[in-house]
Amino acid sequence: MATIGNGSATADWPGRYFHIDQILDKPGPRTDPGFSAGAEARFKLSFRKPFIVWKVEVKAFLRDQAKILVIGAGGLGCEILANLALTGFKDIHVIDMDTIDISNLNRQFLFRSKDVGKSKANVAAEFIMKRVPGVKVTPYFGKIQDKDDDYYMQFHLVICGLDSVEARRWINATLVNLVDPENPESLKPLIDGGTEGFKGQARVILPTITSCYECSLDMLNKQTVFPICTIANTPRLPEHCIEWASVLEWPRIYGDKKMDTDNPDHISWLYKTASARAKEFNIEGVTWSLTQGVVKNIIPAIASTNAIIAAACCNEAFKIATSSAACLNNYFMLIGTDSVYSYTFEHEKRSDCPVCGGESLDFPISRDLTVEELIEMLTEKQDIQIKKPSLSAPTKQIYFQAPPQLEQATRPNLEKKVSELIPEGGEITVTASTLPFSLSLNVIYT
Amino acid sequence: MMSPETQDIEQATTAITEEAPPDRKTRRYDRQLRLWAATGQAALESAHLLVLSSSATSTSILKNLVLPGVGAFTILDNAVVTPADAGNNFFLEGPESIGKPRAQEAVRLLEELNEGVRGHADLRNVEQLLSAGKSELFKYTLVIAHNLPQSQVERLSQLLWEDDDAPPLVIVRSAGFLAEIFIQQHEHTIIESHSETAPSLRIDKPFPALLQYAQALDLDALDPTDHAHVPYVILLVKAMEKWKQEHNGLPPQTYAEKKAFKEAISNMKRKIDEENFEEAEAQAYRSWTETKVPSEVAELFDDPKVQTLNASTPPFFYLLAALKKFAAQPPYTLPLSSTLPDMKASTDTYIGLQKLYKDQAEQERNIFKSFISPGVRIDDDLIDSFVKNAHALKVIRGTSWNSIDKNTIALGNAAATSPKQLAIHLALSAASCLASKAPAPSQGELPVFTIEALTQEAQSLLPPGVELPEEFEFTAGEIARSPTADLPNTAALLGGLVAQEVIKMVTKQYIPIAGICTVDLIETWTGIL
Ligand SMILES: [Zn+2]
Repeated sequence: MATIGNGSATADWPGRYFHIDQILDKPGPRTDPGFSAGAEARFKLSFRKPFIVWKVEVKAFLRDQAKILVIGAGGLGCEILANLALTGFKDIHVIDMDTIDISNLNRQFLFRSKDVGKSKANVAAEFIMKRVPGVKVTPYFGKIQDKDDDYYMQFHLVICGLDSVEARRWINATLVNLVDPENPESLKPLIDGGTEGFKGQARVILPTITSCYECSLDMLNKQTVFPICTIANTPRLPEHCIEWASVLEWPRIYGDKKMDTDNPDHISWLYKTASARAKEFNIEGVTWSLTQGVVKNIIPAIASTNAIIAAACCNEAFKIATSSAACLNNYFMLIGTDSVYSYTFEHEKRSDCPVCGGESLDFPISRDLTVEELIEMLTEKQDIQIKKPSLSAPTKQIYFQAPPQLEQATRPNLEKKVSELIPEGGEITVTASTLPFSLSLNVIYT
Repeated sequence: MMSPETQDIEQATTAITEEAPPDRKTRRYDRQLRLWAATGQAALESAHLLVLSSSATSTSILKNLVLPGVGAFTILDNAVVTPADAGNNFFLEGPESIGKPRAQEAVRLLEELNEGVRGHADLRNVEQLLSAGKSELFKYTLVIAHNLPQSQVERLSQLLWEDDDAPPLVIVRSAGFLAEIFIQQHEHTIIESHSETAPSLRIDKPFPALLQYAQALDLDALDPTDHAHVPYVILLVKAMEKWKQEHNGLPPQTYAEKKAFKEAISNMKRKIDEENFEEAEAQAYRSWTETKVPSEVAELFDDPKVQTLNASTPPFFYLLAALKKFAAQPPYTLPLSSTLPDMKASTDTYIGLQKLYKDQAEQERNIFKSFISPGVRIDDDLIDSFVKNAHALKVIRGTSWNSIDKNTIALGNAAATSPKQLAIHLALSAASCLASKAPAPSQGELPVFTIEALTQEAQSLLPPGVELPEEFEFTAGEIARSPTADLPNTAALLGGLVAQEVIKMVTKQYIPIAGICTVDLIETWTGIL
């Protein structure tokens, strides 16, 4: 019965699921009945039926009905697609806006040298369909922001293998906004993975139920930023010389011409310019590879860490879709540099999370703080990190980044003190074009 | 008056300024070279691995080693692809591969991942390999075995334990959501451990040139800009000299004194926002914390191999012996590191300070070199690397696979300290024992392990009086549920973990596991036993 489905049955040969069916044919000692009830509502499965019926329905759901979205077809994405296909998901969608680069080939194993320059989503989808018979992978070569709520509504699960914080915040907020308490199917579990060198993490987000991506923004590693005055006046490290070349010299020489960090001629120019400055100041260590690393903000990436994290993500997807075991609650962190260290814990939901919390954030500031300084704080604070924020109060506009007329009209406020515009306990609403949510600040003067 | 070393640096610098864009290979491996550099890559490329079986887990492991460019691999497997294999193994082509030799199919598809890697399929079975003797095994850099029958893994581990320089053996066992990894090795020495602890700047024991520089500097004579750009290292050395003069030559002892020392630094500021003074306050503890040989390194000085150097001793221990001699002399520290962290300073003062550190480090490196037993030839690059990483050297001494389940006392202790991890190990061991006693099930059939039989078997591994951990009930239940399941996700996760450990072993960089790494993918955790 499980193998009678729309088209996929033809591809299922006897014994195909010998390994997976060992899990699906029997419940485990730790299979959580409470969790099954949740999945029951979401996926319209009837777990209260006798087990013999249940297992048939679970297999049918996994193999004939479950529709899963993979965001990112890179280091994690390639692994995720292969794992999902082998575990029996048959209807997989994948979104990626990138094309294949030669430096991807040390880990993104669905790509070959001949694929350099092609769409990651398209090549990955084709490869999976060729290798794993009966699996349909639908690629989209573009941005996640191109798609609307109706698009995301069609999936049962979303797995993210992204390297961009911005994109993760966007999809997280979109899935939280999608939740309609009247409609259990609107709750789409989001499984998120990320890696950096030998380190990584995998987490399960049940939008509005568990802590979300935005709740944990302060856990991100802070990026090193070199102060402009050091770069301009007192360089000490090779990195300072490289930043000087890219941040100060490039615009001075080339004006508005955009620097393309994927263009070897541009890197070459930056490398030579940085080397010359380093020589002038007796600084050692400017190399081609360091130049590229600094200007592209390259994060080391290897196949093994991606394999671990992607497997952890897909294992959660499998457990959620089949309720064969309870899913991770809710964060798994791995460090592989010194032995194998991992930490599994429940990340707490933040009541003042701008996406899932509902409460406004208490925000103590000095009476002397100007609007411009406040904007800088919002950009830099670990738990906020909103680039180019626009600010407004319930009755007035404070500062808007766009459109140009509004920017111009509100620009004089930048120099004003916040205390001149907002009373004690007043509320400021912060928005940004890159984020599909707003943040409410409850101003407290210190 | 140029020493050969400085000439080398000159040449190297010229080479750097003419550096061209990286070649294809460097571009391909860019993201991993940033982790283990050209030396690690070279080690990886000269390795030849042997993998026993081409299960889903085995091919997942190999995938993560072929991609980064391991030199060569051999899969030894006499199995023919079954319908079940075609369903769970990404390195088979579905139904088209059924009936073909599994190793051959896997090698063909794995080789596609990287033109630079050679793969071989050895269609013999493990029995034939074992009876062919040691020399067959010793040509490999490392051997990996996944879910081998108990008797075979025991004989294999015995063969590879008899000789000190036998290749390490990685034993992987998995069933359903549970798994474990063990590395059998006699000894593994690590120079480049990539420790996150920085070596001491020796502010508490300033070397003569540093002390002289600090003393000669007249802060009052500096203009405001220069005053705000004196590196904190200099400020601390200066402040500490003054403090000692006023306190009978002693650094601050009590909390109150330490606070007073920090206040003295703060009082040296001309303006409240001088960042270099703020850094000095924050780093003040460095000036009263005595620089000593880190205890983990000092322990290595007592290593038996350091006491009995002979012709067959690896260079690592000759270097360790020299380090011991170096540290036995004033100032009783490791050789100085030439790496200076970034700090608020003008370019000139920073570069000047960097040069002081480099020169002193160079001098101490030469003293260190003079302590190396004469007659031993050790590569200069190795010496440099050893000195640079002296604060984080590591030696791992392992045990044999056979000794683990025989060490009932250690298992008994683990029942108290790591019950969850032990439960996984015992459940996998019990299943392995039961499987060896029963006739092999035919294709497509499952062996039947009852929870009772698993419990009895596991209990017999523990010393009398020690009870099975409470968690055993769950793990045994999982093994009974899925005794032979090589799940795609578990296989992929093990593929990543094992490849990572193999990379650490082969490159001798970073620190591999010592003991058994257990994995539970129901609760999603890993733990070392
Ligand atoms: Zn949240």
